[in-house]
Amino acid sequence: MTDVVFPALAASDPSAEGVVATWFVRDGEHVAAEQLMAEVQVDKVSMEVPAPAAGTVHLLVAEEAVVPQGTVIARIE
Amino acid sequence: MTVTQNEVTGTTSTRRLTTAKAMAEGISQEMERDPDVFYIGEDVGAYGGIFSSTTGLLERFGPERIIDTPISETAFIGLATGAAVEGMRPIAELMFVDFFGVCFDQIYNHMAKIHFESGGNVRVPMVLTTAVGGGYSDGAQHSQCLWATFAHMPGMKIVVPSTPYDAKGLMISAIRDDNPVVYMFHKGVMGLPWMAKNARATDVVPEGPYTVPIGQARTARAGRDVTVVTLSLSVHHALDVADRLAADGVMDAEVIDLRSLVPLDREAILESVARTGRLVVVDEDYLSYGLSGEVVATVTDHDPSMLRAPVARVAIPDVPIPYAHGLEAAVLPNAGRIEAALRRVVGGG
Amino acid sequence: MTVASAPAGTASNLPGPLDDALRKDLYRQMVLIRTFEEAILKDYHADKAPVWDIGAGLVPGEMHLAAGQEPVAAGVCAHLTADDAVTATHRPHHLAIAHGMDLRRLAAEIFGRETGLGRGRGGHMHLFDPTTHFSCSGIIAEGYPPALGQAFAFRRRGTDRIAVAVTGEGAANQGGFHESLNLAALWKLPVVFVVEDNDWGISVPRSASTAVPSNADRAAAYGMPGERVEDNSVEAVYEAAGRAVARARAGLGPSLLEVHTLRLWGHFEGDAQGYRSDLEGVPGRDPIPTYEHSLLEAGLLDDTSVSSIRAEAAARVQDAVTFAKQSPVPDPAQATSYAFA
Repeated sequence: MTDVVFPALAASDPSAEGVVATWFVRDGEHVAAEQLMAEVQVDKVSMEVPAPAAGTVHLLVAEEAVVPQGTVIARIE
Repeated sequence: MTVTQNEVTGTTSTRRLTTAKAMAEGISQEMERDPDVFYIGEDVGAYGGIFSSTTGLLERFGPERIIDTPISETAFIGLATGAAVEGMRPIAELMFVDFFGVCFDQIYNHMAKIHFESGGNVRVPMVLTTAVGGGYSDGAQHSQCLWATFAHMPGMKIVVPSTPYDAKGLMISAIRDDNPVVYMFHKGVMGLPWMAKNARATDVVPEGPYTVPIGQARTARAGRDVTVVTLSLSVHHALDVADRLAADGVMDAEVIDLRSLVPLDREAILESVARTGRLVVVDEDYLSYGLSGEVVATVTDHDPSMLRAPVARVAIPDVPIPYAHGLEAAVLPNAGRIEAALRRVVGGG
Repeated sequence: MTVASAPAGTASNLPGPLDDALRKDLYRQMVLIRTFEEAILKDYHADKAPVWDIGAGLVPGEMHLAAGQEPVAAGVCAHLTADDAVTATHRPHHLAIAHGMDLRRLAAEIFGRETGLGRGRGGHMHLFDPTTHFSCSGIIAEGYPPALGQAFAFRRRGTDRIAVAVTGEGAANQGGFHESLNLAALWKLPVVFVVEDNDWGISVPRSASTAVPSNADRAAAYGMPGERVEDNSVEAVYEAAGRAVARARAGLGPSLLEVHTLRLWGHFEGDAQGYRSDLEGVPGRDPIPTYEHSLLEAGLLDDTSVSSIRAEAAARVQDAVTFAKQSPVPDPAQATSYAFA
């Protein structure tokens, strides 16, 4: 089981909050390693989140829900 | 002739991209294949394109092939034309289609006419990309679609993708085409994280290169009761409305995504209207003297008796696009206006 | 973005010295151009009588002839090969001829025949010849931007080929002119910008259109050298052009060359030139008799050689025009062909 973590976009403010702007995978789908999983956003800056491993995806956070950087947003089994 | 996307995709992959990323991937794969392809425009380098048309490309291909320019559209679009004449395959970006006024001569009098004026002896294999469309209060000079203006001028092909799949396939086709192709991408279909969320802006896109034929429409939704001919972001709205009306048992609408304006797939329009007998055109360009009239004329030139009811055209009325949100929403061809038109044409009420 | 310099030692056409052979070639070229323009002049007007109708006759439409501007074409193009690009304006014939365009295909296009450069689709202002990389445009100043693109492609391919972009002094006030100069200098593109200052933008004299006395002065504003040749002398043009061409081939970037030349006839044929205040002095400024005289004085020419050069030009032009007149007109049923490849 691998955690997929909301990256630290705002390096100067580790506790900053952001959103998963877009999920590119659906809950229960299979992903390959490095496959594009999500685009996250803090203020106006966005970043892609590739899958850290291959496996089945379990999404933990909804699109547009506000979460702090560092939150585990999905798991890959 | 139309094809449905599911037939063509034929893939079991779940790899999804936004329309913007799909467009960039198409460009990237062609640039890998052909060293003569390069991308030139304002803020296309480090910024990755104002609407993310070239995100990631500078890092991959470097500044010799992803080229930032001064604010000199006449010069750099003309430069692209000259480079194409010499056999390169440039992609030049006009940041907003609304800016065409400062450089249209190079586009319609040079890029589009050199092949003809030379009796076919000189080719201009270039792509002109440009962002179109409104809905986010960018005002009268930054919200237009203007595809009818371009389509009206002979000598340039025009493609208008509405989906991630088509965005990549049409880009690859456009680059490979030996003619000038204007590639018009609506900001609202790009899936930009800083614009209103659009679920239809993200979808499965095959990983390898593939083409979508230029000049061929697509049946986005098969139906019986009425033909909706549309393009770009309006395809999304039309599908939303059609799905809801079908679920409510009101009607079963067919939605045709034109995908190309030049050449225009008139066969697809005629084939569908021959079956349904009813036509609604949804077009985010201005109403008069434009695309929606051309679609209607396609039917009436052929056989007006195909129509069992008057046609409805849902377009921007002949006014500049207002800034205030409520005013802009009132002039755009949104879901409410599309639904009203469908009910009028099908229900007679 | 800077474009890489051309590799050393590949310059294929370094400017040669202005020797006697070259002088005679320059004269010969100018005579050929003038002979051609006179032939077109004659045929253009012949069948528009008794009432002048611009759309009538063997050569319909507008006609802009370059008599008087031969020194620019001869002096600049002497430094070029067929691999170099030239973009010209609505007044293109002198440059087309000096750059080596096939006279028959040129004439046939002017006469609107199927054997013309553009199969009769382009006409006299829209001449495209891929074999000599020649193009022209009826939209003033708009020939400059595509020249940038040709230069860009040549440099990208590692050659020392260049693009020569020619326009008039009136065009130097058009936006595309300024954009092109800036971008070419910024990217050090191998371009030579030529401005033919023939004093008149149709009916508007330069003094009423241009805020500076010389467009060569504008060059500095765009980061490139500028030179102005004042006396329409083909030798002065040759030498100035040589400097600009050498710079471009060496990867040093663009230059601007303005030549104060002479529009011997009207802006277009049919132009009564009622506005033209300098008409009286015009015949005396004709560059060809002037140059001919100086070559005769120098002993490079004599009456025999002058006659033979003129006769040769006449024969070549007659061959071209006859070919054009005997060529088929395009089939109207094919009028919509060639929009797309």
